[in-house]
Amino acid sequence: MSFGRCFLKLPYFTNMFIVQVGALLIALTYYTNAQTSVVAVNTTIPGSEQSASGLRQLAVAVVPQSSVFHPSLRSQFSLNLLSAFPEDLEVSNYCVELLAIFGQRYSTYVNCLVSAARPVKVCQNCYGTYGNLMEIYKNISDQMGPGNVSCRDSLLRSDRLMLVFLLYSNLEDIWTASECNRCVSLRHYSLTNDTLYFMETLNQSLSCFEKYQKGNHSELCTECKATYRGLNELYSRMEKNHTLCIDIEDSMNMTRILWSKDFNCSFPRAETVPVIAVSSFMLFLPIIFYLSSFLHSEQKKRKLIHPKRAKSNPSFINIQDKFS
Amino acid sequence: MANITKKVSWSSRGDESGGGERTPLLNGSEELSGDGGMFHIGRLSTVDLEEDMTSDEVTFSFLSILDYDNSENQLFLEEERRMSFLGFKCLEISRWVICGLIGFLTGLIACCIDIAVENLAGVKYYVVKQNIEKFTEVGGLSISLILWAVLNSAFVMVGAVIVAFFEPGAAGSGIPQIKCYLNGVKIPRVVRLKTLVVKVCGVICSVAGGLAVGKEGPMIHSGAVVAAGVSQGRSTSLKKDFKIFEYFRRDTEKRDFVSAGAAAGVSAAFGAPVGGVLFSLEEGASFWNQMLTWRIFFASMISTFTLNFFLSIYNNKPGDLSSPGLINFGRFESDSVAYNLYEIPLFIVMGAAGGLLGALFNILNYWLTIFRIRYVHRPCLQVMEAMLVAPLGPDQSEDYPLQLFCADGEYNSMATAFFNTPERSVRSLFHNPPGSYNPLTLSLFTLTYFFLACWTYGLTVSAGVFIPSLLIGAAWGRLFGILLAAITPNGSVWAVPGKYALMGAAAQLGGIVRMTLSLTVIMVEATGNVTYGLPIMLVLLTAKIVGDYFVEGLYDIHIKLQSVPFLHLEAPATSHWLTAREVMGAPVTCFNRIEKVGTIVDVLSNTSTNHNGFPVVMPVAASDNLGKICGLILRSQLIVLLKHKVFVELARSRLTQRKLQLKDFRDAYPRFPPIQSIHVSQDERECMMDLTEFMNPTPYTVPQETSLPRVFKLFRALGLRHLVVVDSENRVVGLVTRKDLARYHLGKHGLEEMQLAQT
Repeated sequence: MSFGRCFLKLPYFTNMFIVQVGALLIALTYYTNAQTSVVAVNTTIPGSEQSASGLRQLAVAVVPQSSVFHPSLRSQFSLNLLSAFPEDLEVSNYCVELLAIFGQRYSTYVNCLVSAARPVKVCQNCYGTYGNLMEIYKNISDQMGPGNVSCRDSLLRSDRLMLVFLLYSNLEDIWTASECNRCVSLRHYSLTNDTLYFMETLNQSLSCFEKYQKGNHSELCTECKATYRGLNELYSRMEKNHTLCIDIEDSMNMTRILWSKDFNCSFPRAETVPVIAVSSFMLFLPIIFYLSSFLHSEQKKRKLIHPKRAKSNPSFINIQDKFS
Repeated sequence: MANITKKVSWSSRGDESGGGERTPLLNGSEELSGDGGMFHIGRLSTVDLEEDMTSDEVTFSFLSILDYDNSENQLFLEEERRMSFLGFKCLEISRWVICGLIGFLTGLIACCIDIAVENLAGVKYYVVKQNIEKFTEVGGLSISLILWAVLNSAFVMVGAVIVAFFEPGAAGSGIPQIKCYLNGVKIPRVVRLKTLVVKVCGVICSVAGGLAVGKEGPMIHSGAVVAAGVSQGRSTSLKKDFKIFEYFRRDTEKRDFVSAGAAAGVSAAFGAPVGGVLFSLEEGASFWNQMLTWRIFFASMISTFTLNFFLSIYNNKPGDLSSPGLINFGRFESDSVAYNLYEIPLFIVMGAAGGLLGALFNILNYWLTIFRIRYVHRPCLQVMEAMLVAPLGPDQSEDYPLQLFCADGEYNSMATAFFNTPERSVRSLFHNPPGSYNPLTLSLFTLTYFFLACWTYGLTVSAGVFIPSLLIGAAWGRLFGILLAAITPNGSVWAVPGKYALMGAAAQLGGIVRMTLSLTVIMVEATGNVTYGLPIMLVLLTAKIVGDYFVEGLYDIHIKLQSVPFLHLEAPATSHWLTAREVMGAPVTCFNRIEKVGTIVDVLSNTSTNHNGFPVVMPVAASDNLGKICGLILRSQLIVLLKHKVFVELARSRLTQRKLQLKDFRDAYPRFPPIQSIHVSQDERECMMDLTEFMNPTPYTVPQETSLPRVFKLFRALGLRHLVVVDSENRVVGLVTRKDLARYHLGKHGLEEMQLAQT
C-alpha cells in the first residue's frame, strides 16, 4: 500500500499557517483566562479527557488501514490513557525540561503583556521577558542537547497541532505588530537611546503638566508650550526615521489628548475666519467666471448639414404620395 | 450637386427655422414648432465644435470616415499576384510583431505616467504638508490653503494650456473618440503622435494637480495612438519613414491594430488583459475574427506584463510581478467577504441606485457640456475654467487638517479621503476595516465628490472618469454597508462594508459609462476575485437597465454632442418602411470611365460639396443623364492620380513613364494633400484621365427598395463608406453614406431625424 517514503499524516499542516493568525489570538485569550479563573479550567478537564479517549478509539479503528504506522506498534495500543509509548518515541528528558522552562517563561511574558496593556508599555516593560522566551525557543528549535538530541522534531513538529510553535509564533506576531524592535535592541537587552531620550522629554512635559495642573489651564498652556512643542518635534523626527514603537505612539497620543482635550491648549480658533474667507472666495470665482462668460461671450452658432434628397423633404406627406 | 459623401452644404440658418432641427417622421404633419425640451435638446446637439480650428485647413479637418472595405482594383490584383507565399507568411509574422510592440510601448507609457504622477504628487503633498506643519501652531492656515490652491492651479494650467492650444483632440478621456474610430469615424488628428504626447503630459498634470480625475481612461487613447503609429512604420509628424510595414497603410489594417492598442491600454490601466480584449470587442465588434482576437489578447498580455515588469524595477523589486495595472483594487481575501444568497437582492437594489445616480451624473454633465460648448469655447477661457476648478478639489475638503478642527495627533477622516490620490482612496474604501469611516463624513464626501467629478469631466484637460466614478460609488456603497450593518441585528457578521463599497463602485461606474461585459470582466480582474463575478454582473445589468431608461451613457452623450455619425448596433426599430430611396443622397456626382481632368479638378475643389466617393459610370443613352454603374473611385485616389499626372495623353507621349503602383497610394496615406495644393495647368485641364485601372470595379450596390435596416446592416457588418443605390437597369440613382444613416434616431415620438452639425 505504501510506495516510496512514509510520512506522518499531517493533513492540516499547510492550512495551519492560515488559521494561525486568527486562532492564536483566541488561544492567548484563553490562556489568560485560565490564569485568572482556576475554576473554569477545572471544569473543562473532564470533558477534554473524554474527548481525548474518544479520539484514541477512533485512532484504533483507523489504524488497520493506515500503513504509515509501524505494524509492531499495534499491539501496544490500548484504551488505557496512562500507558506510555516505547522508549524511542518518548520525548527525552532534556526536551521535557526545555518545555517546562518554555512554559514558565511564556507565562511570565504573557503576564507582563497583560499588565502592560493599558497604557501601552509592552515594549519597555516586557522586552526582557520576551528575550528570555526567544532564547529558550531558539534552544528548542536550533540547538542540539546533550547526546545530540534535537528537540525540534519531537517538540515542534510531531503532531498536527504543533502547539509549541503555535504559541510562540502568536507572541511573535504581537511583538511584530507592536513594532517593539524599533525601540528595543534585543541584542543588548536594553531600550535604544532614541527611546530613552524620548522618555526623558516626555517626562519633562508630563511633570510640567503636573506642576501647573492645579491652577488655571491657560497658565499651563503658556508655561508648557515650549516643552510640548519640543516633544512634538522630536516625535515627528522619530516618525520620519521609523523609530517609533507602540509605546511611544501611545504615550504621544495620550499627551496630545491631554494637551488639546483636557487642557484645551490647542491654538485659538481665530484663524477659522480667514480660512473660510479664502475658501468661499475660491468658491465664488467659478461662479463669477461662468456668469461672465454667459453674459459676455458670444454664443457659438451651429452649422447644420442640410441633406440633399432626391425628392424634396422625406416628410410623411411625400411618402404618402409615393405610396398612393 | 448632391450630398454624396459627407454633407456639406451647411447652412447657418440656426435661429429662424425650428422645424429643420427635428422632423418627426411618423407624426403625420410637419410640426414646425418643436415642443419644448425635446426640441431644445435636438437643437443643441448640433453644435459645431471645431469651427475655429478649421480656418486654415478647410477641407481636411472634417471628420473623415474610415474605409473598411478594400478597393479591389487592378493595381491591387497585380500586387497580390506578385506577392509570394513567403510574403504572406511574413505579413502574418509582422502583424504579431506589431502587436507585441504595441503592448510593450503601451505598458511603457503607462509606467511613465504612473511614475511621473507619483513623484509630482509626492512633491506637492510634501510642500503643502511642510507648510501646514509650520503654520498650524502660529495660525495662518489660510496661507497654506492659498499655496495649495496655487500649486494645483499651476499644474492644471500646464495641462490645460497644452491641451487647449496645441491639441484639442487630447481633451477628455479619449474613450468616445476611440469608440468612434473603432466604429469607423475618424475624428481629426485623434491618432497622431502629437495627440499622444499632449495626452500623456496633460494627464500627468491634471492628476498631479488634484483634479477629480483618473489616469485610466487616457491610457486607452494612448494605446490606440501607439497602435496607429507603430503599425504604419513611420511618423508623419516627425517626417520619418522607416520603410517597414508598408502593407498595413490602409484603414482596414490600421483599425485592427487600433483595436489592439485600445485593448492594451485597458489592460495596462486595470491590469485586466481579458477585459481589454472584451472592451475592444464591445466597442468595435463589427469587424472581428478569431485570429484578430488572439493577437489583441497577445498585445494586452504584453502590455500588462511590461507595466508590471518596469514598475517592479522602479520599486526596487525586479521580478516581483505584483502590480499589473495602474489601479489595483487590492485583494479581497478574508473569508468574511464572501457573499450570501440573500444579499443578491441587496446588490440589485444597489445596481438600481447606481443607475439612477449615473443617469443624474450624465444629465448634469450634459447640461454643463452644452453650456461649455456654447459659452466657454475659446482656448483661453477653457484654460481659465480648468484653473478655477483645480483649487476647488481640495477646497471642499479644506475644512481639513491636521489640528485646525481636530485635536493634536488626530486626523480628519474627511481630509484624508480628499487629501489622497483617488486610487488610494478607492482602495482604502474597499479594504479598511468596518468602523474606520464615520457615516456623516462619508455622505458629505460622496456628495461633494459627485458634483466635483461631474463638473470636472469635460474640462479641457485630458482625464478619465473611471476613477472618480469608482470613488463615488465606493463611498456610497460603503455608506450603504455601514447603514445595513447598523439596522440589522447582528448584521455586522455579513454586512462587511468593503464588499458593499465594491458593489457600489461597480454600480456607479456602470450607471455612468454603461459598459456591460467588458466592465464586468475588468472589475473582476482588477479585484482578482472571481467569486464576485455574479454580483458584479447583476449590479452592472441593473445599473444599465435603470440608467438607460433616463439617458444614454456618458460616452454616447459626448459622441452625440460632437455630431459624430456614429452607427449603433442596429438600425432604429420601426424603420423598416424607410427605403434606400428616401435615405440616399441624390443626384450623384458621377465620373465617366475616361474623364476630362478639368471636370475632376472642378468637382474636387468645389468646397460646398466635399464629396469623397464618386461612382464611375458608363452613359447608357445620350438623352439619359443616369449612367450605368461600373465602379467607384475615392477622392484620395483621384488626388494621387492628379498629383502623378496620370493622363492618357501623357502616357501616349511618354511610353517609358513609370506605371503607378499601389505603393504610391500608400505613401500618401493617411494624409492626402488637399486639392488646392495640386497645380493643374490650363493645358492639362484639357487632358483625359482613364479611371478604369484605379477604381473599385465591384462596389456594393443596392436596389432602391432596400429597407433602412438592411442598408444599415451592410454598413455595420462590412464597414462600408459608400453604398451605391441603383435602379433596375443598374443606373446610379443615389448614394448612401454613413451620415445618411446616422441621422435617424428612435425618439420619444417615434422615428426622428436629427440634423447633424458640420464638424
